[in-house]
Amino acid sequence: MEDKIGVFICTGYGIAEALDIEALCKVATDEYNVAYCKTVESCEGAGLKAINEDIKSEGLNKVVIAGISPRQYRENDFPQEIIVEKVAMREHVVWCQPPNDEDTQMMAADYIRMYIVKVQKAEPVEPFQSEETIDKSILVVGGGITGMTAALDTARAGYEVRLVEKSDKLGGWLAKQHMSIPTKPPFRELEDTGIDALLAEIEANPRIKTYTSSYTSKISGAPGLFDVTLSSNGNGTSSEMVDQFRVGSIIQATGWKPTDPRDNLPYGKLDNVILNVDLEAMIKEQGRITRPSDGKEAKNIAFIQCGGSRAKEHHSYCSSICCLNTLKQALYLRGQGDDAKAYIFYEFIRTPGQFEDFYRRVQEDPNIYFTRGEVAEITAGDDGTLQVTAKNTMPGEQIRVKVDLVVLAAGMKPNSADGEMIRALEEAKVTVKEGESDIQRGEAAKKVEELKHHEGTEILNLGYRQGPDLPALEYGFPDSHFICFPYESRRTGIYPAGCVRQPMDGLGSRQDAAGAALKAIQCVEMTSRGEAVHPRAGDKSYPDFFLQKCTQCKRCTEECPFGVLNEDEKGTPLLQATRCRRCGICMGACPERIVSFKDYTVDMVASMIKAVVVPEEYDEKPRILALMCENDAIPALELAGQHRLQYNPFVRIIPVRCLGSVNSVWVTEAISAGYDGVIMIGCKYGDDYQCHFIKGSELADYRGENIREKLQQMSMENERVELHQLQINEYYRIPEIFENFHKEVIEQFGMNPFKGM
Amino acid sequence: MEAARNTLQEKSAHREQGNTPAIPGCFENGQPILVEPDSDFVRRIGRRSGDAFMKCMQCGTCSATCSLSSDVNPFPRKDLAWARWGMKDRLLRDSDIWLCYQCNDCSARCPRSARPGEVLAAIRQECIVNFSAPSFFGRWMQRPQFIPLLLGIPVALLALALLLVGPIEDALGITRSLDGQILFTYSSMFPHWMLNSFFAFFSLLTLIVVISGILRFWRAMKSTIPRERYVNPARGLGASILSTLKTVFIHDNFDQCTIARPRYVSHLCVFFGFLALAAVSLWVITAKINPMVRGDFIYPFGFLSPWKILANLGGIALLTGLVLMMWDRFRNDELVGPGSYFDWSLIATLSMVVVTGFMTEALHYLRLEPHRHLAYFVHLVFAFTVLIYLPYSKLAHLVYRTTALVFAEYTGRTSVGGVNGDNLLQRDTIDAEEQTKAVAK
Repeated sequence: MEDKIGVFICTGYGIAEALDIEALCKVATDEYNVAYCKTVESCEGAGLKAINEDIKSEGLNKVVIAGISPRQYRENDFPQEIIVEKVAMREHVVWCQPPNDEDTQMMAADYIRMYIVKVQKAEPVEPFQSEETIDKSILVVGGGITGMTAALDTARAGYEVRLVEKSDKLGGWLAKQHMSIPTKPPFRELEDTGIDALLAEIEANPRIKTYTSSYTSKISGAPGLFDVTLSSNGNGTSSEMVDQFRVGSIIQATGWKPTDPRDNLPYGKLDNVILNVDLEAMIKEQGRITRPSDGKEAKNIAFIQCGGSRAKEHHSYCSSICCLNTLKQALYLRGQGDDAKAYIFYEFIRTPGQFEDFYRRVQEDPNIYFTRGEVAEITAGDDGTLQVTAKNTMPGEQIRVKVDLVVLAAGMKPNSADGEMIRALEEAKVTVKEGESDIQRGEAAKKVEELKHHEGTEILNLGYRQGPDLPALEYGFPDSHFICFPYESRRTGIYPAGCVRQPMDGLGSRQDAAGAALKAIQCVEMTSRGEAVHPRAGDKSYPDFFLQKCTQCKRCTEECPFGVLNEDEKGTPLLQATRCRRCGICMGACPERIVSFKDYTVDMVASMIKAVVVPEEYDEKPRILALMCENDAIPALELAGQHRLQYNPFVRIIPVRCLGSVNSVWVTEAISAGYDGVIMIGCKYGDDYQCHFIKGSELADYRGENIREKLQQMSMENERVELHQLQINEYYRIPEIFENFHKEVIEQFGMNPFKGM
Repeated sequence: MEAARNTLQEKSAHREQGNTPAIPGCFENGQPILVEPDSDFVRRIGRRSGDAFMKCMQCGTCSATCSLSSDVNPFPRKDLAWARWGMKDRLLRDSDIWLCYQCNDCSARCPRSARPGEVLAAIRQECIVNFSAPSFFGRWMQRPQFIPLLLGIPVALLALALLLVGPIEDALGITRSLDGQILFTYSSMFPHWMLNSFFAFFSLLTLIVVISGILRFWRAMKSTIPRERYVNPARGLGASILSTLKTVFIHDNFDQCTIARPRYVSHLCVFFGFLALAAVSLWVITAKINPMVRGDFIYPFGFLSPWKILANLGGIALLTGLVLMMWDRFRNDELVGPGSYFDWSLIATLSMVVVTGFMTEALHYLRLEPHRHLAYFVHLVFAFTVLIYLPYSKLAHLVYRTTALVFAEYTGRTSVGGVNGDNLLQRDTIDAEEQTKAVAK
């Protein structure tokens, strides 16, 4: 169908007072020959209705509306088949520039040009339709409290569930508990764990199929199309295939294991020094607490908090549950006789949320003694007792207590595997065998040694080029945009929940399970409609690879933070579209520019860049291109507008899906088109990154090397390209960034000599 | 394993070098002490302080508000920690608990409502039980079920004295020379020779208990401080006593109370009322052997006799103070505390003394027989009760608090943390200087 482009310019919102609307219309009609250009009073309510009527009556299929920010519209404001681009004339121009100024008018005209070019280049979006049917069943890996709850929640919502547990029965740590900490007001008394009811409910639910003594030996495919192979645990040597099936999404609830105690605590050296989990197992089994050395009933117990965590180089994080567990176990002990005494040595007692009430209740017991303090020494006394010496205590400088048993509060570490590290280990092993030089082989051998502890840790066994498990953070917790997207991982359709994600108590695990169940359901539903799941939820575009031109450089397969692309033997990317998050990082990576979306291509942005009218050098009107991330930088820019912050009139802004999608060709195009410099503004990166696509802004920085090379070839200064990290609330920095760039870069190095060429 | 243990010890020994000095009152000075908590003590303190002190989270708000607290002596925070750990020995030896006048600033500001002021009062109660021998009297004083027994003893003793009056007089041939001349005297019922010798005997017994209590308490406090501080006291014993008496008389510590300001007035009334009555009683008891008392006109005092005026004023002051105290405990219990049984029993007994005293006086002037004798007897019972239970009741605070105040003056523990704090701070500064020098090298 032939394009019929319409341009609507709003006169409301103070736009007509600040700009020459007729001149803008002329830009559209004279320069671009658009079929239809009209002014409207508003682009909301009646105005919006009028625009829609015009679209219908004039038969427009591509529309540019210059008015309010695209973020102010709703999803169904326009018919699906019409391509509509919205220019934030109000936020980006009128609110931030002086009215009726020559430069303001030029800025507005440039935006009209850019967006007309954009719609010209855009094609209608068609959602990805897999050739195979999208499966909507859900796999839950791990049969502890989180896994069981997630399975039940998902099944109740009407989805088929497969629940896989490694050990021979469901229950996990919940089944190993004697009693549970209070879960409901007034949070005073210990409760039954509720495991039996939970197990019975799972048993009775026809939608849940349970596999015990099994593990996921292979998972290939993508969301909606995961092919899972289950194998039996066997006896370590033989492992038989149990079942093969297809699922839509996966909840990983593989839980936790206790951390090892600190080195200065004599665990394993003295019989009567045990872990909190040992005590739990003991009371579950025997119904009472005894001394391991001689089986005598324990009367006095010292509980040492943070026994396996919160040391600088030893699980420095707080597991948030050990304190509650100790309070519970102190009550177990108090049940063993009126003269039983519990001594609790802590650094900080942490009882999050309502559990403070439980803490107070335990404090009321006169035979439970709390003190802040540091354990200096644990020595064996006569008759099997132990002497615990603590310093910096509250009752005095140093105190010593005589006890039967010392219980160390071990923290939680996740039962996870680091897919990226496993893959790095495998690659290093290959290099050791096939490396080209001795140095290369030597380095690879060193790396193998360093990563050796990752060997055999696989859990999910994913068939992803980027490793068999979720990429993990420092302590093994799966990587995700932690603040904004708790259940997410870096693999679409796989949702970690419970203690594998973050240390938490049983109540928290249940809530987490519900959250992850909702995410898993969202995933299968949106995937079946061909939409992106997260964070561009509902985006129907998807990347298209023009593989005839691919040089197998593997940049896209390496750089995709979400492991979307597998490779064939030659290194050609194999797209698994349902894994994709539509960030465009592959598009930014590709030196051959073969990756494109229907509504977002390298050529489209390059054309927008070139559409800007660059004045001659002697006009003293430089042009600065600002490529800004849609997720945080653009909302920040709109906030700057709402605060009426005035900024440099020579900047032209193009929103990008992610800074990672910036192809270096855009920078060179801009410089050859006569722009005097390029600013890229993206999210914060590093350990506490805020990038919605994990690595986008970091990759943009890393790729800066390529850009610098290209600039050198053009004999241009490196300083003409800058990258800034901006948090969404730092809108006030934007004018400063633009102004400093103008003052320090352009005035220092002069105007771009390529102008007018 | 042996090697591992050695390293562990080395490590901890190494860490200890950097330790800050021990908390004052913690006589162990850095040596670990074996703690065997007395959980009954914890229960008792809890019961007597409103069962709230276990909520203490050691935030230190109480120490921040308390004028007795210093950087290195976080009072009463440390006492709450010791109390929670059942460290009875240490608490009872701590003179600090008696420097507290329970102004209750701490209780009012405590974010956990742990009532530190009340906890200290409960500890002082324990202290009285501990140091006043025999201790079962002290324990009886803590429980309402012992009221009949405790009141029965003075009743029985007085009754016995009354029964013995006749036989003794007959045996010794005593005639009541004075009594015969004046009508309507109480001596017809209870002859003065008996009254005086009876009260004098029990006063002496009480005095012995008090002195032994003081000595034991002094020794206990002494054990908490380094020897050199005791050998070279901050000031002489005489000067310490004088300064303490001055403090007691002018009530300047009560004067510092802010939230519990009414306490200043009520205690002042009770204190001087009690003092006036005690002075009059002493004057009367010693009249016969006192060379300053001329002739034979002493009994009974006329309504306008200066002694009678002093006694009546004293009685009014005492009664006013007691009423104020009761009023505060009802009306301002959130601020000054509702008062424990121990506290109320003293208020009640003193009130009975003063009320029966006034009744006896009134009936005497109205010449109402035989009611006035009954009232007189009841008055004597209560006065006697106050006297013999002085070392065991809350009234014992006048013994132990005064002793503790003298001790504090003597060893240099003043109301703002004083010498203890200064010494330790100086030591810290020196350490810091040495470290700086070491780093510079």
